[in-house]
Amino acid sequence: MNFSQEAAAWSCTSCGGELSLVKVGFTYMKGNFEVDLPACAECGLVLVPESLALGKMAEAERILEDK
Amino acid sequence: MGCCEKATSFATESLCPHCLDRIPATRERCGEDVYLVKSCPEHGEFHTIIWRGKPEFHGWQRSPNMVRTSESQTIAEHGCPFDCGICPTHRKNACTAVLEVTSRCNLRCPVCFADSGSDVTSDPPLTEIAEWYRRVLEAYGPDIIIQLSGGEPTVRDDLPAIIGMGRSLGFSFIQVNTNGLRLAMEEDYASVLRQAGAASVFFQFDGTEDVIYRKLRGRACYAEKRRAIERCVENGIGVVLVPTIVPGVNSHNIGAIIKLALELSPGVRGVHFQPVGYFGRGPDAPDNRSRLTLPDIMRAIEQQTDGLMRAEDFTPPGWENTLCSFHGTFIPKTDGGLQALTGHGGGCCDSREGSDAHAVSFTARQWSAPPASKGSDCCCTASSDPAAGIETFDGFLEQVKSRLLSVSCMAFQDVWNLDLERVRDCCIHVVAPDGRMIPFCLYNVTSASGQRLYRGHLQELPGF
Repeated sequence: MNFSQEAAAWSCTSCGGELSLVKVGFTYMKGNFEVDLPACAECGLVLVPESLALGKMAEAERILEDK
Repeated sequence: MGCCEKATSFATESLCPHCLDRIPATRERCGEDVYLVKSCPEHGEFHTIIWRGKPEFHGWQRSPNMVRTSESQTIAEHGCPFDCGICPTHRKNACTAVLEVTSRCNLRCPVCFADSGSDVTSDPPLTEIAEWYRRVLEAYGPDIIIQLSGGEPTVRDDLPAIIGMGRSLGFSFIQVNTNGLRLAMEEDYASVLRQAGAASVFFQFDGTEDVIYRKLRGRACYAEKRRAIERCVENGIGVVLVPTIVPGVNSHNIGAIIKLALELSPGVRGVHFQPVGYFGRGPDAPDNRSRLTLPDIMRAIEQQTDGLMRAEDFTPPGWENTLCSFHGTFIPKTDGGLQALTGHGGGCCDSREGSDAHAVSFTARQWSAPPASKGSDCCCTASSDPAAGIETFDGFLEQVKSRLLSVSCMAFQDVWNLDLERVRDCCIHVVAPDGRMIPFCLYNVTSASGQRLYRGHLQELPGF
């Protein structure tokens, strides 16, 4: 499931609004970058899809969270 | 030394520089500086600088996240540091096992830790080295950095066989500690070492000027150093530049070394500074002005790179004692600057959790050759397009995999600044000829008259 499909499959747990893809800024170990993620159009709550959390984010953690 | 603040002192222990007896010691603040102060009933009091200036000493902390899990090879009988090793009072597992495969060398360096200045002795046979490997395997398992050292290990023609032996026993990361002269002299030698299984060279590199090599190594060899680096990179061996920094000799060249490393990155994977220690004979304590502490190096990096790397970009270690080292990781940005991925004092970066295996895998990955870029025809030359940028997650991941440069510093201890609180946290262990694991600084420490604590003074362990 891509992030657009994720956005369509979820609704906001906080306010019940619909999700759409928006650019979300990440700060990780002093690195800043943007990712298009599902977020609530009403309240801005962001969904980090499981595939991202267990995929690239976990990979970055493995690489960078060092000794 | 009347200004020292004993109220803020920390009690530890050390050795008398003259008789090598264990004596009480304290870390005492004097303004922004910190001294190790110790007193021997027979030989008097000693004050040695261990921290000079900013960043502040008391802020240089990180929660220890590594605990000792390995079994002991000796019992605690006489007390630290006389029971190595390692004994039950040691607090950390090893991250690196150093195997000294020869005492011969093709240079004669006055600043050398090893025994290469003494009479030539015969090299340990392969059977003995095999036994050392087995000892390391029993004590720590295969997920450890094996560093083949000396002397100069490349003077042994059977070095490829020694590397291959380690790989066949299951060690995944084998690094050769070398001055690089043979790599420069023999065109195919880097390829031979790579094919044998060497992942990395811990490369003696004291600067970018021949005047430095004449002073520290006895002759000019900068051109050979550059040729050796080139050959390692071409053959997929990760290069870690290791400068020994001596005040007034190459302390001005720290920024130039880093700038060269950035230029040669990602083939050059890191720079690992080692402020000079004082070993061997010398009846008087070395002048504190002849010492460089961790903050001295951090500030020199900032000053000499014009702020490209800043002192605040560096972080204390999570494995060894926080007073033993610092490190930082950096990736290039598209605007020519650097993005630091580390730092201290910000809170979030000091609470990271880790594990022994994680720390070793990070170091092994960082010190090995970078992965080949996507679409590259060659497995040996890296890497990603530096202009790919780190503004997206994919770009960031690609850059950290292939273009990360590490800059670190290890403050070795000599008999004057030896601090047993630090020793008990040591994770770099030399495998002594009798198979014991001895913390690196203890193995090399000598009294003011040149008497050694461990090197050359070991008896065989039972059953070895």
